[in-house]
Amino acid sequence: MSNAMLLFSLAWRNLWRNRRRTLLILFAIVLGGWAMIVMAAFMRGMVMQVFDDTIENLTGHIQIHHPGYLDDPVIDYNFSIGPDLEKVLSDSAIAHWASRIRIPAVVASERESVGVMLLGIDPDREAKLSFLEESVVEGKYFSSDEEKGIIIGKKLADRLETQLGRRVVLMSQDRTNQLRDGGFRIVGIFDAPLEMTELSWVFLTRKQAAEFVALGDQLSEISIRLKEPENSEALSIKMSDSLKNLDVKSWHKVDPFLKVMVEVYDSSAIIWHLIVFLAMAFGIVNTMLMAVFERTREFGLFIALGLKPRFILGQVWLEGILLILVGLAVANLVSWLTVLATGDGIDVSAFARGMEMIQMSNIIPFVITQKDLVIANVTVIVLGVLTGLYPAWKASRLVPADALTRV
Amino acid sequence: MQNKTHRFSAIKRKFKQTIFVPFILLAALIQPVYAQISGKEIVKKAIDQYRGKTSYSVFTMVIHRPDWERSMTMEVWTQGLDKSLVRVIKPKKDAGNGNLLLGEEMWSFTPKINRVIKIPGSMSQQSWMGSDFSNNDIARADDIIDKYTHRVLEEKKENGHRLYTVESVPHEDAPVVWGKEILTIRDDFVLMDHTFYDQAGEKVKTLTTTSIKKFDGREVAAIQRMQKTDKKDEWTEVRVEETKFDIAIPARVFTLSNLRNPRK
Repeated sequence: MSNAMLLFSLAWRNLWRNRRRTLLILFAIVLGGWAMIVMAAFMRGMVMQVFDDTIENLTGHIQIHHPGYLDDPVIDYNFSIGPDLEKVLSDSAIAHWASRIRIPAVVASERESVGVMLLGIDPDREAKLSFLEESVVEGKYFSSDEEKGIIIGKKLADRLETQLGRRVVLMSQDRTNQLRDGGFRIVGIFDAPLEMTELSWVFLTRKQAAEFVALGDQLSEISIRLKEPENSEALSIKMSDSLKNLDVKSWHKVDPFLKVMVEVYDSSAIIWHLIVFLAMAFGIVNTMLMAVFERTREFGLFIALGLKPRFILGQVWLEGILLILVGLAVANLVSWLTVLATGDGIDVSAFARGMEMIQMSNIIPFVITQKDLVIANVTVIVLGVLTGLYPAWKASRLVPADALTRV
Repeated sequence: MQNKTHRFSAIKRKFKQTIFVPFILLAALIQPVYAQISGKEIVKKAIDQYRGKTSYSVFTMVIHRPDWERSMTMEVWTQGLDKSLVRVIKPKKDAGNGNLLLGEEMWSFTPKINRVIKIPGSMSQQSWMGSDFSNNDIARADDIIDKYTHRVLEEKKENGHRLYTVESVPHEDAPVVWGKEILTIRDDFVLMDHTFYDQAGEKVKTLTTTSIKKFDGREVAAIQRMQKTDKKDEWTEVRVEETKFDIAIPARVFTLSNLRNPRK
């Protein structure tokens, strides 16, 4: 025990014998660690943002449809809430759910007409589930089922050359395949992170929509938000067992792109860590070899005096480990400060169009998760300890006669 | 009638001494109200006037653009407000192109591809046969009667005719994009002009009658021009060549099979 303490204090003092060199390599380790953690946080931020946006963009964690709906989202594929479904929806794992009418329509103004997806929503339920309520920037969100009017996206309003308070005409097919049209006053305009969202969705209360296309109590979609998103897949399978005639899908299946994105992120983070570490490792090995080389006579003398090679190995190794631990500690601290300093995230609106293409918004937050932090630190410690072994092993294998006579 | 007048004059005589003067004043106040025809009625009669119960007409449509102009001659059969058939007869390359309108549904037929296509609602704002008229202008012209609130803005005399200016504002839930429409209609219910305004009150397009002729014993707008306000050198003119009203049209005229295979 006291040997270990002795080794530790020797190693610590040895580190500071060449202060400039130690600080330089520490700086390299801090920089590497910082790059790993912050970059991981940036990528995690991107993924989380896309994930949250997608889930809030009417996706939810689980969706229920008529079996034909996802392949061909038309009015004919509808369903109603029966006793089975009611029971499933009262599951304690469900945080919120909302029912929707979701059918293709055309919206026209004096000058333009645009094809859109018409959504009939339950205002209260939908507010707990998706982005709409907080995204209404002009006018206001529906306060009750009884409310009249339509909410459209900002971009769509521009495209239609219309504005809040004006009327637009909606056209869609009703249940009997008859064309229906109706005038609706714009009561709200929403601003979504993605232009596509603003362009392609218009919202009515479900009551208005049902009246408009004669759908009664029938629905196109139920979207569910869970208390724990991790349970999506398992719960969707359980639900689908008790709802034989309906199609229950978790977000993995509704939006496979999102699933792939999350998976790609996890593996690319590890690759990034390895690349940064490789650069770092050369620095560490080089510095330690240098230190060993400088102290060849010293080690030769120790061995000649009878110090066992494993103590030499232990001491040099410990020096390497201390370097890495100190470096990492500082790196974690600096990364944390970086994330704190960026606040809501960094603004990449200069690349807005490119970001839009990959479905991302203009501000990317840094998100440090425990998991990412552990992965980065463990990677550096494990691999760092292994690389520190090489110079230590070299030092321990010195032959006293050679070492002492080397000039 | 005779009797009634007698009784009326008797009453008048009776009250002559005491209330004759106030009565005249009152009558003067009330009289225009009785004489006035409602805006809705004017608009309805204007539409009836050019369509009749049934009608057959031949007209030429001239589409003018800055660098070209073309004209098409067509035959039109109408019955009531919701049935009509249009068929192009000239020029040869467009001959046979047709439109059938039943209620709010519209089909088009092109002999070149030998297909009948139902015009979807999504195209209702789009151009009809390449002209400045939209499909809606053609298919839903009579919507204006029931889905709008009409108000006579002014009445004036011009060339021996009385002209009514009617402002028509669509109902709140009407499937109409316009903010308002203003129609000028002559007392014999010839539509003189029809202007479409957007909801900001800006003029979007105007249909103007530039010539009136007598066809089949009836004054008819013989030349009408549709012009978008922001495109001064683009317009479409419809020139009526002949018109017959209230003739017998067999039911088979307004069928998809007749749209596809015309029979004389």
